[in-house]
Amino acid sequence: MKNIDNILKELQYKSLEQTTRRHFLRNCTTGLGSIALGSMLGSCMGGSGDKVQSTSPQVGNALASKASHFVPKAKRVIYLHMAGSPSQLELFDYKPELAKLHGLECPPALLEGKKFAFIRGVPKMLGPIADFKQHGDSGAWISNRLPHFTQKADKVSFLKAMHTDEFNHAPAQLLMHTGTPRLGRPSIGSWVSYGLGTENENLPGFIVLCSGGNTPSAGKSVWGSGFLPTVYQGVQCRSKGDPVLYTGNPDGMNRDLRKKSIDAINRINQENYNEVNDPEILSRISQYEMAFKMQMSVPEAMDISKEPEYIHEMYGTEPGKASFANNCLLARRLAEKNVRFIQLYHWGWDSHGSGKDGSLEHGFVDRCNEVDKPMTALLTDLEQRGMLDETLVVWGGEFGRTPMQENREGKQMAFYGRDHHTEAFTIWMAGGGVKEGFTFGETDEIGYYGVKDRVHIHDLHATMLHLLGMDHESLTYHFQGRDFRLTDVAGNVVKDILA
Amino acid sequence: MISNSYKLARIIGLVSLFVCLIFFVWFFVFYEAPVDYNTEVKPILNKKCITCHGGVKKSAEFSLLFQNEALAPTKSGHPAIIPGDARHSEFIKRITHLDPEERMPPESPPLSAEEIDVLTRWIDQGANWGEHWAYKTITEVPVPQPASFFAGFSKFDVGNWVRNDIDRFVLSKLQEEKLQPSKQANPAVLARRVSLDLIGLPPPKHLYNVYMQNPNDEAYELLVDSLLAQPIFGERWASMWLDLARYADSKGYEKDSERTIWKYRDWVIKAFNEDKPFDQFTIEQLAGDLLPNPTDDQLLATGFHRNTMNNDEGGTDDEEFRVAAVLDRVNTTMDTWMGTTFACVQCHSHPYDPFKQEEYYQFYAFFNNSQDEDVPGEYPNIRFYEKAEDQAKIDSLKNWVLAHTQSEEKVKELDYFLKTIEPKVQPHAFDTIVKGALIDNKYLGVEAGGFARLSSFHLQNYNKLLLRYGAQNAGGTVEIHLDNLDGELITTIPVKSNGTLWGFKADLVDLKAIEGVHDLYFVFDGKPGYVWSMEWMLFMKSLPGEEDTEFTKHEKLITELTDAEVKRSPIMLDHPSDFKRKTHVFERGNWTAHGEEVKAGTPDFLHPLAIRNGQSEADRLDLANWIMSPENPLTARVMVNRFWEQLFGKGILETTEDFGTQGEKPSHPELLEWLAWNFMHDYKWSMKMLLKEMVLSSTYRQDSKVNNELLAKDPANRLLARGPRFRLSGEQVRDQALAVSGLLSDKMYGKGVMPPQPEGVWQVIYSGLKWKTSEGEDRYRRAVYTFWRRTSPYPSMISFDAPSREFCVPRRIRTNTPLQSLVTLNDPVYIETAIALAQKMLKDSDINAAIEKGYQEAMLKEISTEKKVALQDLWQEAYAFYQENDSAVVNLLNFPKAYDEPVNEKQPSNKGMEGKVNLETADIEKSELPDKCEGDCEKLAAMTVVANAILNMDEFLTKE
Repeated sequence: MKNIDNILKELQYKSLEQTTRRHFLRNCTTGLGSIALGSMLGSCMGGSGDKVQSTSPQVGNALASKASHFVPKAKRVIYLHMAGSPSQLELFDYKPELAKLHGLECPPALLEGKKFAFIRGVPKMLGPIADFKQHGDSGAWISNRLPHFTQKADKVSFLKAMHTDEFNHAPAQLLMHTGTPRLGRPSIGSWVSYGLGTENENLPGFIVLCSGGNTPSAGKSVWGSGFLPTVYQGVQCRSKGDPVLYTGNPDGMNRDLRKKSIDAINRINQENYNEVNDPEILSRISQYEMAFKMQMSVPEAMDISKEPEYIHEMYGTEPGKASFANNCLLARRLAEKNVRFIQLYHWGWDSHGSGKDGSLEHGFVDRCNEVDKPMTALLTDLEQRGMLDETLVVWGGEFGRTPMQENREGKQMAFYGRDHHTEAFTIWMAGGGVKEGFTFGETDEIGYYGVKDRVHIHDLHATMLHLLGMDHESLTYHFQGRDFRLTDVAGNVVKDILA
Repeated sequence: MISNSYKLARIIGLVSLFVCLIFFVWFFVFYEAPVDYNTEVKPILNKKCITCHGGVKKSAEFSLLFQNEALAPTKSGHPAIIPGDARHSEFIKRITHLDPEERMPPESPPLSAEEIDVLTRWIDQGANWGEHWAYKTITEVPVPQPASFFAGFSKFDVGNWVRNDIDRFVLSKLQEEKLQPSKQANPAVLARRVSLDLIGLPPPKHLYNVYMQNPNDEAYELLVDSLLAQPIFGERWASMWLDLARYADSKGYEKDSERTIWKYRDWVIKAFNEDKPFDQFTIEQLAGDLLPNPTDDQLLATGFHRNTMNNDEGGTDDEEFRVAAVLDRVNTTMDTWMGTTFACVQCHSHPYDPFKQEEYYQFYAFFNNSQDEDVPGEYPNIRFYEKAEDQAKIDSLKNWVLAHTQSEEKVKELDYFLKTIEPKVQPHAFDTIVKGALIDNKYLGVEAGGFARLSSFHLQNYNKLLLRYGAQNAGGTVEIHLDNLDGELITTIPVKSNGTLWGFKADLVDLKAIEGVHDLYFVFDGKPGYVWSMEWMLFMKSLPGEEDTEFTKHEKLITELTDAEVKRSPIMLDHPSDFKRKTHVFERGNWTAHGEEVKAGTPDFLHPLAIRNGQSEADRLDLANWIMSPENPLTARVMVNRFWEQLFGKGILETTEDFGTQGEKPSHPELLEWLAWNFMHDYKWSMKMLLKEMVLSSTYRQDSKVNNELLAKDPANRLLARGPRFRLSGEQVRDQALAVSGLLSDKMYGKGVMPPQPEGVWQVIYSGLKWKTSEGEDRYRRAVYTFWRRTSPYPSMISFDAPSREFCVPRRIRTNTPLQSLVTLNDPVYIETAIALAQKMLKDSDINAAIEKGYQEAMLKEISTEKKVALQDLWQEAYAFYQENDSAVVNLLNFPKAYDEPVNEKQPSNKGMEGKVNLETADIEKSELPDKCEGDCEKLAAMTVVANAILNMDEFLTKE
């Protein structure tokens, strides 16, 4: 009977195949010239996860919106990356046992066979430099460093037993964003753009916003496209100067004149197309049309000055300033405009204790104050607009921090600080198909090692793609003779946190 | 009799007829066309089977990767493939099974009837494995003779179209496809095309004019020869090579601080210019340091593999990133010369190509013995003593050595020593440090009462120790004891202070000469805090003439020269044999999990490696020779394909980065073979001869217009029935705009320059490096000289698909995006070129003539009426606008220079015309950006808008 069932299923599959996306695609890609026209963008493109990828994709239309593998929970992602890695032990992973051990020498068992970036010899244990309470019906532990965020205890899922393979910033950030600690692979935002395309052709599909005065340690590769065509790389939007490089017309040329000049360029291009018949020219024409639209839509999207006062109050924004608060508000605006992947970086979380700004009792507190109100406001704002359900928000650093106090070069440090740590850290996720008021994973009594429900970065990636409606094993790109994936050869969807 | 013989003949006839009939029946019923493994079988296996049955995974212990594996018994105990008997082969049973749960491949649609047929016939015919085409030795192939007339195109004259053998290959293929090649492009278009290809710029005026006087074949060849002889030829081709070499002006990773290795970039430019044969070009870059008595240039060339990244981030393990650099060298060498993806083999045997995992590490061993160790100083370097006083010191030392040894050989040794100051011992070599640390994981700092141990060090009667350190306080001492803390004292170093731990100074101290392997204990005494912070040390032997009264004076010159400010460039140098590193397989690619030890070697299935006479083990020079061996099936194919791709937009094999079994199929396999053979044997690896052959072909000279038939039959122009037409590279886009506007500087070589870049693009942490806009002509240098910072490359270049150069990129994939349009429309660099071009145009007072001239300058041909009308209309609009808006005139013309100021200091520039333009004195050939506008500035502004449009035309951004 089973055999017959299978054969029947197969027949059904075959008839379905007639109408699947892939089949549709094949019928759709014949008229090369027509699809390059700007007006036709977004009409009949597809191809994510198609195993038979061309090695030179038709990049002219590469960003057109594409169907996901299955029905997605989230339409887009807002990823709040805390570059430098905040201490989980001062924010979410409450360890009363560690407080008891404060000031005692670290037991040798914890140090055997371990390598740290800066800890040398025998360090001392460091109790939490913050006060903790339980919040909401879920009873999540959140410290007094994030007073606003405590309101969201019942809205988010905490992943408390995250772990990674890298304990230096640049490689760890690369692993977090590209799935490998070395350079050359596409970032998760690029993968998502490649897999799903963009739904707003007047804005880039993958936008990056940085605050804290520095870009992340790993440089622009964390939003690079690796071996994917460069159309998929993240586009950095800036708070000073042109929001996107070169969107501003030169001084002394207004929009009207720019329009006329693009018209002239495209008239000439059209004329040339009539002569030489190369469809690539039509693609160029549409790119100039799009560039012109972006010149308008990007500054518009980036202009927060017209937001109502209560919104500024809620986020703590000040128009014209380069701040995490402004970027959170921008993230919401971009999400409203259907930008697919919005990546924020806030720099300055590397609390080693080697200086005041890099200490748990000073700089860390400042960083918390910088992010607490705006990230809380972002969740509230998305929710009140009915967008949280379809927007996945992810918050976290690239690794965790040690329960031991850092003793750089084997010496007592001037301030409280913790070294880089791979074995345990906390991230939270909200919206877009993730459980509310849920905690997944557990670390040991001192927060040194994940003891239950550990989640690796590959698993996080698999889960994020899953929520976007993509199977991380099918989202592949053929390069140098091999199908590559964001999750390489690993990754399991963390089903427990799915709503 | 007659009738009998007649009968007999009839019978014989009938019998023969019958035999024939039987034969034909047999032929049609039973004959099977022979199956070709490579073209028919392998693609099916790769696509449908090998993911689970080969390389990484061997489900059910069945693998299709190698023949011996495929025919071996599987988990069931029986082989899945029985050669000659498809019907009883489990392999065929499973792919044809009716139950989808039993059938292979699982959870996928079944194989097609044709695929099953191919696999069945293949097994019935003996299941023979074939060798992949790209792994076969390159042979001389006959040149085809295309039919003398063209079916259906009687007018086409083969004899006239074919110019060289390339054309014979291309035309034969076209005839198979029943396509006709295109006629020759018009001379102006062709001159622009060949010039952009060969020198990356439009043709120099005088060459263009000579050619256009009478654009026949001789004139074209003359043009080609002249272009090949231009010194700017090397700048264009260096850009291609530097993507492979991952050349950049910064180290990469977090701090991404500056790296001074531009002398290597200049070496590449010069090598292309002097047409250094590709074998020599290769050997010098891979192993110049191992050549006998290497010249400075040969040492510089090894910078190729010093372009790996260097991680200066605090708290990083030098060994981890040294290993990362060595792995990168392996992968880059294979990518660049062998067109082979080797990186997968780091973790496991290759799933598709016959590379075994241990072979990866045998290859790794060639590079694993180099002295570089991810230290901030990027040692080893070649040092250039350019100051006269330093030269005088060197001469004085040389004379000293000659006078005391009478040996030229010793003088050479000294010279080489001063050139490199190697081999150094780095602080991370200490395996135990008590009361101290590697400061920032980089420098050795130990407090009084502490010690540091260097284990199992081979002392070879060294009697001097050269070291560089900084110290806060004077008066400390460092003693070196043998084998334990109280062991024999071999020196006491009195610590000198320069007031800081960071201002490293060289010091040369005496050492008791000892022979043998010992642990060295460095014991520290002094004031609180670190006694010193040591950068490196070097065990050496004393200068000769110790008894001489002038000795100390001369010895001091060594420390002075060590501290001298010199230009440096990283190079490859190997450890001496007794310090040689061991190489182990990394289990599953994990660098901390050492497996079995391996020796340097090359993959088994390729041609054999020859070890030079007198060597016990193969080294990088042997590897370089192996790569350039005429037996090597890959290098020549890979390189001719690369050059072809540069000219035609796509390689003959489209996947220039992958010649393995997963690569595409070449469009013209015989042509690829023929070019590869000729590159080696006829052109003797001359890259210029190869290029010349390609651009002289009629294939290359074809018109690039597309007709509907070609678009339908061959949209990607794989068959070459028309000329190449594709967008210029990022470098060409910039260089062309500067050249056409007359701003381009012809200055060559030197430190990377910084043309205008928007404020705030560089926000790299822990880095003092600043973008400071270059002044004078450095503002207008060719793109190859732009400072290339890995974590934040020049924005307009990455918009046009240039890579970050963090790793080897064998092929840039061309894209077409709105961000590119924004660059050429609005980037101040392009506004500046538009102003300069507008100035040139306005030399003519008649506006129509000016527009014609602008187009002519850009495209080297006359403008069509329709295009002219479009530009005239734009002119009208723009002129009307600027007549009404004085401040807009000023702002536009000031924009490029005003842009240099940081955003927050930028003033609204309506305070009058500070820039000045003089339309009368502006030079036609060589423009300068206006400093002052005297005359009709509204006109200049309006014409700038027109020029900006010209510089944005698709045809201008495209090689037509």
